[in-house]
Parts: sequence; structure tokens; C-alpha cells
Amino acid sequence: MKGLMVLLDVAAAHLLMRVRQTVVAVAGVGVGVGFFLAVSGMMIGSQNDFIKTLIDSAPHIVASDEQRSAARQPALDAFPQAAVTVRGVRPQDEVRGLKDWPALLADARAIPGAVAAPTLVGAVAVRFAGRTEAVSLNGIDPRIEGKLAKIEESLIGGRLIDLEARPDGIIVTRPMADRLGAHVGDTLVVSSSAGTLQRMRIVALVDPDARAGFYAGDIAGYGLLRTAQVLFARPNVVNQIHVRLPNPQTAERDAARLEARWGYKWVSWEERSRDILNLLVVRDVIMYAVISAILVVASFGIYTAVSNSVADKRRDIAILRAMGFTERDVQVIFLAEGLAVGLIGVLVGFGLGTLLLEALSHAPLTMGGKPLVLPLDRGLRQYAVAGGASLVAALIAAWLPARKAASVDPVEILRGAA
Amino acid sequence: MTPLIEANRVSRTLADPEPFTLVCDASLSVAPGEMVAIVGPSGCGKSSLLYLLGLLDRPTSGSISIDGRVTEDLGEAERTHIRLERIGYVFQFHFLLPELTALANVALPMRRLARLTGDQIAERAAALLEKVGLGDGAGKRPERMSGGERQRVAIARALANDPAILLSDEPTGNLDSANTRMVIAEFQRLAHEEGRGVVCVTHDATVAAAADRRIHMLDGRIVAGD
Ligand SMILES: Nc1ncnc2c1ncn2[C@@H]1O[C@H](COP(=O)(O)OP(=O)(O)OP(=O)(O)O)[C@@H](O)[C@H]1O
Ligand SMILES: [Mg+2]
Repeated sequence: MKGLMVLLDVAAAHLLMRVRQTVVAVAGVGVGVGFFLAVSGMMIGSQNDFIKTLIDSAPHIVASDEQRSAARQPALDAFPQAAVTVRGVRPQDEVRGLKDWPALLADARAIPGAVAAPTLVGAVAVRFAGRTEAVSLNGIDPRIEGKLAKIEESLIGGRLIDLEARPDGIIVTRPMADRLGAHVGDTLVVSSSAGTLQRMRIVALVDPDARAGFYAGDIAGYGLLRTAQVLFARPNVVNQIHVRLPNPQTAERDAARLEARWGYKWVSWEERSRDILNLLVVRDVIMYAVISAILVVASFGIYTAVSNSVADKRRDIAILRAMGFTERDVQVIFLAEGLAVGLIGVLVGFGLGTLLLEALSHAPLTMGGKPLVLPLDRGLRQYAVAGGASLVAALIAAWLPARKAASVDPVEILRGAA
Repeated sequence: MTPLIEANRVSRTLADPEPFTLVCDASLSVAPGEMVAIVGPSGCGKSSLLYLLGLLDRPTSGSISIDGRVTEDLGEAERTHIRLERIGYVFQFHFLLPELTALANVALPMRRLARLTGDQIAERAAALLEKVGLGDGAGKRPERMSGGERQRVAIARALANDPAILLSDEPTGNLDSANTRMVIAEFQRLAHEEGRGVVCVTHDATVAAAADRRIHMLDGRIVAGD
């Protein structure tokens, strides 16, 4: 653009003549952007880490032999035109379990890259040394279940595959073992509601840290699927299917599709964690509100700087206009001042933010005695958001004073001075 | 020959806060190569007339032509461009930009017009300063110059885009007699040798006497001319 450079030079001259005010305004933007990066880096980093844990610690989809709504009563179908109410329904003691489960399993496995495992879950009583505890026993296929989620990393004293070598093996959580006073290698007496009694030997314990998640529910226990079927006297019955997907983001869609096809309840990790995910949204809103407030405050600095510059330079504006500079030229000069402060501030802020994130990543934090590395998000996206938002804020902040500068009537100023 | 400036029954009134007439029914023309002085008592409307002639203000009635072109119907952008290209202003108080050196001040209108390259602009700015006797003051900021020096820089700047018209409002109001003589000589040279139209509002009898013509104003009206 012809003649633009001279406008930028005048703008730069104005800023350089008012070093202190310019520095303060730049610092305002810089601190705003720096803390934006540090705060959002921590918030988004911890959130991503949390969601990753949520996804990795459990199957992405769990199908169980439940329905989302009560079974339709035959009376309703028999008299479709009538107003029928059915009360006090007593269900037949149906044999619980997923009907046709090999077909369900095959369908889940038909999703490319997906892993699916059959499971039979039921309540058992566990006795050891005179103490009794209730355990929710999961009969699993250890080879497949190990690929489903990161349970293996949370095991102490043994491995999942040990169940295969010992069909009478059982895995309970460490707190459960502590309550029973049992250790790895001890034999528990396990009884089911079917009246079956079986001795089972502890082959490993689940350490209930964050990663274990789904598998470390207080009363969870694990054994072989075959063993569980015998214990519950339900040969060849399965009441849950656990699915892991190559891309967890498709869980919700895949679950809905499978549910529509097969009935039963297919729960995705998102549905299971809806409350927590909603909380994260609230957290996001709070974060962005705080960050916007920081940026607004920073743009006040720019507004003040440009406003003062305009007030100071009314004589100069008049002479520029008399010389043949247009209203738009004048406006561009002051917009450029605001934008320059914003731009330098953003660069300072990028430096500051990067330093803060670097410092945070080396912060000597511990959690429960173990060193804790803060999960930080250092994505370019955050830099782009912070930079973009600041520049827009700078433009808006400079806009009003620049408009005012453009509307200065040179004659009025010249009369007053001459 | 088309006059550079032609004012035809120009009036300028104010509505606020109460009706007031700054300039009433003024007609005049300025030809190339002449220096015209506008004289009259304080408050008679000399500056107001000059702002109208220089397209900084719009008349409430009457018409003003620059280079034979009627200006009333032009938009602000076009009027501003005429100022940039055809008109140079010199005021009583020099009105230099305090942040810029003498050279940068003189270069401003040329850079805005952007018809010359950066090197050509710097060269011409230096030459203009040389002409007003400030060859070695090019790098100085206004705050380190005397009133006379600043006024000479302002004249150099007014001539930057080689305007046909030079308008000045009390250019010698703040100067001693030596500087006043220098400005008079320069204005005469600009009119007589370079063929520009020079209009000079002044209280100074020497300046008025040096002009080719004098226009006398009283209460917003042109009352006599010679
Ligand atoms: N905004 C305004 N509102 C009211 N009156 C004004 C305004 N501006 C100027 N005037 C009046 O208009 C008249 C003409 O002003 P102008 O500046 O043109 O006079 P002048 O001849 O240049 O005077 P001087 O020789 O003192 O510079 C003066 O009486 C002045 O007080
Ligand atoms: Mg005046």
C-alpha cells in the first residue's frame, strides 16, 4: 500500500516518545498472554491426561444384559386400542445373560481394529480366616481382557495370564486383601448364590491407583470365565461384553449402533463418565472466563495508551490533516499503535508463557511420595488462541480512540493555537 | 491564465452556540506568480478565510475553485488530496511533529504522496532544507531549534510536494526582524521566480508592503484591495 510506511513510522515515533506508557501497556498484554498459556496449559494438560486415564482404564464400551426400559407387557400388545395399566409386575425368574452372545461378540469384533471380550459378572461371598467380604467376581478371558485396558500395569504380585495357568486363581483389590488379611498365594473360600462353593487362590492384587479405574472398584475380583460359569452354575452364559476401539472418539456412535441392533444396554465410556465430562465443561467455561478477564484488563492498558496518545497529539493530527493526510490515515496511525503494542505484548507473552510452562514442567512436585510430573498442554493451538484473542482485543481497544483521532477537526485546533 | 484560487462570494457562518458570521460574501482570486497579503484587525476573519481557501473548512455559501476546479461538490478524500498535492501551509506556530527530525518532517508530505522513491525523497528534503539555510540542521529535532529555524523547516515542508499554492497565517508573527526579512525574501522568490501563488495573512506592515497586492478585511468582509 502506497504511503502506508509513513503512517507506521509516525505511529512508531509516538510510541517511542512515550516509552514508559508503551512499556506498561506491552507488559499488560505480555503478562496476560503468558498466564493464559500457563493456566490453559495446565488446565488442558490435566484434562487431556484425565480423559486419557478415563479411556485407558476401562473398556470403551460395556454391553450388559440390562434394558434401558422395562420389558413391554403382553397385555399392552393384546389390547392395543385399550387403556391398559399394569401394576405390580412380578418378573419371571428369567435366566439372566446376553442371549446370542457369540453373535454380539462377533459383531463388536467386526469393527475394524476393535477388541471384544465376553465376561460373566456376579456376586460372591469370599471367606478367609473367619472374615467374610462380598466380591463382584468378573469371569474374564485373561488373554483378551489384558488387551482391553491397562489393568496389567496395576497388578502387583502376579500377572493376568497367571489365571490361565491356575483355573482356580482369583485376583482381588489390595484393600480387599488387606481387609481379609490375605496375601498373594493364600486360598479363599468363595461361595455363590447358586450355592456352589470353591477354593480359589489369590494370584495377584489390583493396586487401586488412578490407572486401574474401572478395574479397581473396591469389591471387584477377577477369575477365569470358565470358573465363574461353574461357580454361578451358568455354563456357557455371558452377561457382559467389553469392547476396546481403535479410536475412543467413535465409542458413543458405535455403542448406539450396537444397541439399536441387539437391544441390551451398550454403555460407552462417555456415557459412563457423563457427569465428570460435564464437570470438565464447567471447568473449561470457568477457565476461559478468567482468561478473557485477563485479556480484557490487558486491553484496557492498550486503550489508555492509545487514548492518551490521541489526546496528546491533537496538534499533530491537525497539522497532518492540513498537510493532506486523510481521516483514514490518522485512524490507521492510532490503530497501528494499538496493534503494535498488542503484537509486541503477544511476543513477550509467548516468551513468558513458554518460560512458565518450562518451569512448571520441572516443578519438584510429589503426590503420595511419588514424584509427580504435571501434565501440560504445550500445543500451538493455545499460542494461536492467546495471540489471536490478544490482537483482536488490541484492535478493539485501539478502535475507539483511533476513531476519535480521525474525527478531530483541524480548523478547531488551528484556531485555538494560532 | 486560470487563477490558482478563485473565491466567489464566499460566506462562512456558525450556528452554535449563537449565529455568527466569520466570513461574509468574500470574492478574490490569486494568480500564479503573485504574492497577496490579507490584512485587517484582529478577529476580522483572516484566518477563517485562509482555512476556506485551503479547503480545510467548507463555506456555507459561495464557491471556491482551485486550478479552475470547483471544490464544493468534492468529497473529503478528494479535497484532502488537493491539499496534499497543490497546497502548502505555513502557520504562525510552526507545527512540526516533535518526534521527528527536521528532515523527517519535510519528508512527510512526500512520503504520503509516494510519488518519489525513498532516496529521492531524502535527497529532495535535504535540498529544501538547504534552500532555507538549514543544510546542516537536517538531523535536529524541533525542540533543539530556534523559532526562526523551525519556521524555515515549516516552509520547507510546505514546499515538499512542490505545491502551486502557498498559504501562510502570520508566518513572521514569532520572528525577529532578520528572520522576518528572510521569510519575506523567500516568499517573494517563490512567487516571482517559481511562479507560485503565495497568500499571506499578516499583521506585519513590512510583510504587507512586500506583497504584490493587499486585501483588507473588516468584520468578515473584504473592504478594499489594491
Ligand atoms: N468556534 C468559534 N465560535 C465562535 N466564534 C468564533 C469561533 N472561531 C472563531 N470565532 C470568531 O470569529 C472571528 C474571526 O476569527 P479569525 O480567527 O478568522 O480572525 P483573525 O482575523 O484571524 O484574527 P487574528 O488576527 O487575531 O488571528 C473572531 O471574532 C473569533 O472570535
Ligand atoms: Mg488569525
